[in-house]
Order: sequence, then C-alpha cells, then structure tokens
Amino acid sequence: MRGYRAMTIAEIKLFLREPFSIVFVLVFPLMMMMLLSAVFGNDQEEAQAVENGILVWRGVTPVNYYTAASVAVIIAALGLMTLPINLAGYREQGILKRLRASSVPAWVVFSAQLTVALLTFIAGTIIMGIVAWLVYDAMLPEDPLGVIVAVLVGTATFGALGMLLATVIGSSRAAQGIGLLLFFSMWLICGSAPPRAVLPSGLRDFSELLPLTHLVHAIQDPWYGFGWSWSGLAVLTAFAIAAAIPALWFFKWD
Amino acid sequence: MASVISVENLQKSYGSVVAVEDVSFSVEAGEIFGILGPNGAGKTTTVECLQGLREANGGTLRVFDLDPQTQTDTLRRRIGSQLQDSALPGRMKVEEALRLFAAFAHNPVDPDELIARWRLEAQRDQAFDSLSGGQRQRLFIALAFVNAPELVFLDELTQGLDPQARRATWELIREIREQGTTVVLVTHFMDEAEYLCDRLAVVDGGRVIALDSPQGLINSLELPVVVRFSTEAEDLSWLEELEVVDQLSRREAAVEIQGTGPVLALVAAELVAHGIVPADLRADRPTVEDAFLALTGQTIRG
Repeated sequence: MRGYRAMTIAEIKLFLREPFSIVFVLVFPLMMMMLLSAVFGNDQEEAQAVENGILVWRGVTPVNYYTAASVAVIIAALGLMTLPINLAGYREQGILKRLRASSVPAWVVFSAQLTVALLTFIAGTIIMGIVAWLVYDAMLPEDPLGVIVAVLVGTATFGALGMLLATVIGSSRAAQGIGLLLFFSMWLICGSAPPRAVLPSGLRDFSELLPLTHLVHAIQDPWYGFGWSWSGLAVLTAFAIAAAIPALWFFKWD
Repeated sequence: MASVISVENLQKSYGSVVAVEDVSFSVEAGEIFGILGPNGAGKTTTVECLQGLREANGGTLRVFDLDPQTQTDTLRRRIGSQLQDSALPGRMKVEEALRLFAAFAHNPVDPDELIARWRLEAQRDQAFDSLSGGQRQRLFIALAFVNAPELVFLDELTQGLDPQARRATWELIREIREQGTTVVLVTHFMDEAEYLCDRLAVVDGGRVIALDSPQGLINSLELPVVVRFSTEAEDLSWLEELEVVDQLSRREAAVEIQGTGPVLALVAAELVAHGIVPADLRADRPTVEDAFLALTGQTIRG
C-alpha cells in the first residue's frame, strides 16, 4: 500500500505537470459540451423531438443530454488515449523496465494510473455539472450514487481497454494514432456527439456494440432519474473483464 | 566463501539472434566482478537474466541461491540495479524519484543521504528531462542503492560521466564494496575494469573467453613489456643476449627494449653490472586493454 500511495502521488504530480493531457481530458469534453449545447439549446420542446421513431434527446433537453454524455467522453478520452500513450511511452523509454527492476509490481503501475484517471473523472464530472448548471441551468444528477457507480464501472472498462491497447501496441506514436482513431470514431457514433437517433440505422445498430454507447446510457440514466442502466453496466463489466485478462496476461515490460 | 552468483551455461536468443551462447561464471561475496566485452557481446543480456528481467533459454542461474526466473520478487529485495536504456518520466524530479523508489524498498536508504553521496544536491528539484547525461547517470546509480542492496548490478557505470565524476564514482564504488556490498560491473571501459575489478570475465560473441583477475589476465597472456631508458653507451649488445629481451632498438640516446617476463628487473641488474645507471629507466606494463586486444583480436568499439 505504501508503494501504491507513493506511485499514485507521483502520477498525480506528473499529470498536473503535463498540460496536454489536462487540455485533452478536461477541456475538450467541456468545450464540446458547451458547443453542442450552444448549437442545440436548452429548449423544453426539443426534449420530446422524435427522429427515426426514437426520442432524439432521450426525453431531456439537449443541454442536459450533452452534460451527462460529456462525462462519458472524459472517461473514453483518458482510457483510449492518455492511458495507452502513457503506458506505451513508459515502456518505450525504459521507464517500465526501471520500475520493474526496483520491485514495482504491475498492479501498482496500473492502479496508480487508474486512480489518477478516476480522480480526473470525478473532477471532470463536477466541473461539467457545475458549468452546465451555471451557464445553461442544466439539471444536476438526480441520483448521484448511480452516476458515481457508472463512472467507476466506466473507469474499469476504459481503463482495461487502455491497458489492452498499451499491451497490443508497441510504440507510443502508434498508440497516439490508434487511440485517436478509436476515440473519435466512438465519440461520433456512440451518442456523445450527434444523438444516435439521427444516425443511419446500420450505424446505430453497430454503435450498440461499442462500450461508449453503454457508458453514455449508464451515466445519463441515473443523472436524469431514469434508474440505473443495468444492461449498460453489465455490458461495460463484460468489456472490462474481456480486456483486462489479456492485458495483464500479455503485458510486456520492455 | 559462498558464491553470491553462479551461472552455468547460460543461453539466450532473441528470435534467431543468439545474444548469449554459453556463459558460465561465479561471483563471490564482497568482490567487484567485472564483465568486460565489446558492444553486442551479450554482457547486458547476461546481467538482465541474472536480475530476472529476461528469461534465459537455457542454463542454470543462481543468485543468493535463488532462481532469478521464479523467485524474482524475493531476489529483487536484495539486489540493486543500474540499467542501460532505462529512463524515468520526464517531469519527475530527482528527489521525487528517490522517494518513490524508496517506497518500494524493504530497507530503504534515506533519499537525502543518497542525494549527498551522489552529488545531486543542486539537481534535487530538477526534472529528469532537464538533467545532463552525467546527472542522469548519477541518479540511476543512486536509485540502485536505494534499497541497501547486498548485491548491485551496474551496467555501464560511468557512461556519460566526465573524467572527474568518473574518478569520484570509482572511489564510491570501492567504498561501497568496503561496506560489504558485492558488485557486478558491466563495462566496455578497460581502465575502469582494471582499476575496480577483483576479477574479470571477458565476454565476446556470447561466450566467456577469459576469466581472471586483471593482473592474472595480463600475466597469463605473456604480453610484451616495453622498457625504456637513455644512455650514451655505444655497445648494448650484451643486453640483447638476455633471455627475456626480444628486441632492442635505439634512436641516439633513447633505448627501447621489448621483452616478456620480468624484463625490467633483469635489464636493470645488467645495466648496473655494466656501470650504467640511467635516471629515466622505466617499463610500460601491458594493460587490460592489451590483454583484451590479444584475446579478442579487436579494439573495443563505442
């Protein structure tokens, strides 16, 4: 535990000294939330809009829709980009080798990264909620516990996906490219940018298979008081397990 | 005395590339053991296998009677490592790094003490990225000692250090040995190997081609000794009759004799017997570098 604590504190300091990761992880989702909210507004009439036989904004206003969805975006950005880029970079530079030679266990390396990620998510959720509430009079989470559970499960899922990417991808440069590609394609079709109702049906069905879609629901449902998205949480958990096992099994230190 | 390390027939390949073909040696407690060889000889691979950082393809490895492949965690508590090609996160500061690594040590050394000993005082709050090569090296050496190891592996100890820091580092390594730590030193610097090591394994092409003390290595090869002096005496043919003398050449007063064995003593005795007492009589002893050259047929690269 002493080692985990020391590693986590070190990682927090490193994270705060890295302007790029803060910009991407916190500012990008916030900016997108504000832009999308500005475009679609906070009109109560919009809440009942229907397209392709689906409630476009899930029965809430676009602002509320994007506030909760953007929390999921923070988690996806960290899991698909920051985490694999960091870990692949650590391996490439010989940092992992250095840590390993000094008896630093793999779980400490991972869990310190995940703890920093989780703290970022909590901070991001709070910032997102407050900004939306202040600027757009958006709703605060109806069921904060449900949101926290969804964020935790989402951290596990995207954390495991990030570790898997870091395991599969050799270099940090490749991790950047692949991470960026995965992130933006998920972001575009999982309901975090255009609502899924406006997607062609094939794309909509496909996005059903992606973890970000389920994370968006898992965070939105308790946020709006729709109850917990049990199916979403179950799919996320399945993704977490399916990714974590090969990630830990095949993890390479150098 | 019990062996701290024993290696028998170590083999390691990376794909089709054989890095270590057949390496055997043992290291006794309290000695400074050198592994000397050109780049790509298999030195680093050998010590990385011993530290459990790589899996050997064949052979028997024992460190403190532990198997580095399966008892890695127990082993790592007792060893210190300074690795080649390793790094720290760019924005991590020197003191933070030492404190972080100390948190994983069972018997940590006070980071302040390490900062003082390895002259990192001025860099304490500097980020790893901003350190010079020599400062990084000193930090890595300090990290190797953070868990008060009984055995320390130093891979290219003085890489990137300026001559003064090199000397200082050598003295500190000797001091550490005096305190009972066993040292395994991987190097391609001849002077370093000669100055520091009690025994040396010369590795080339993935094999140990010689294993002895630096002096033993030189002696066993019967390398030529060069004796020089100056004299105005015309006839020195009586010196050429000495059995140890292979060749005598002179340029005016300056005389150079090549021979093998105790050349200096015998030449000196003969000179005195002939009433010649040159003030500048001296011998250039062969060095580890000459031995290495004779053994591998090549100069060290890099």
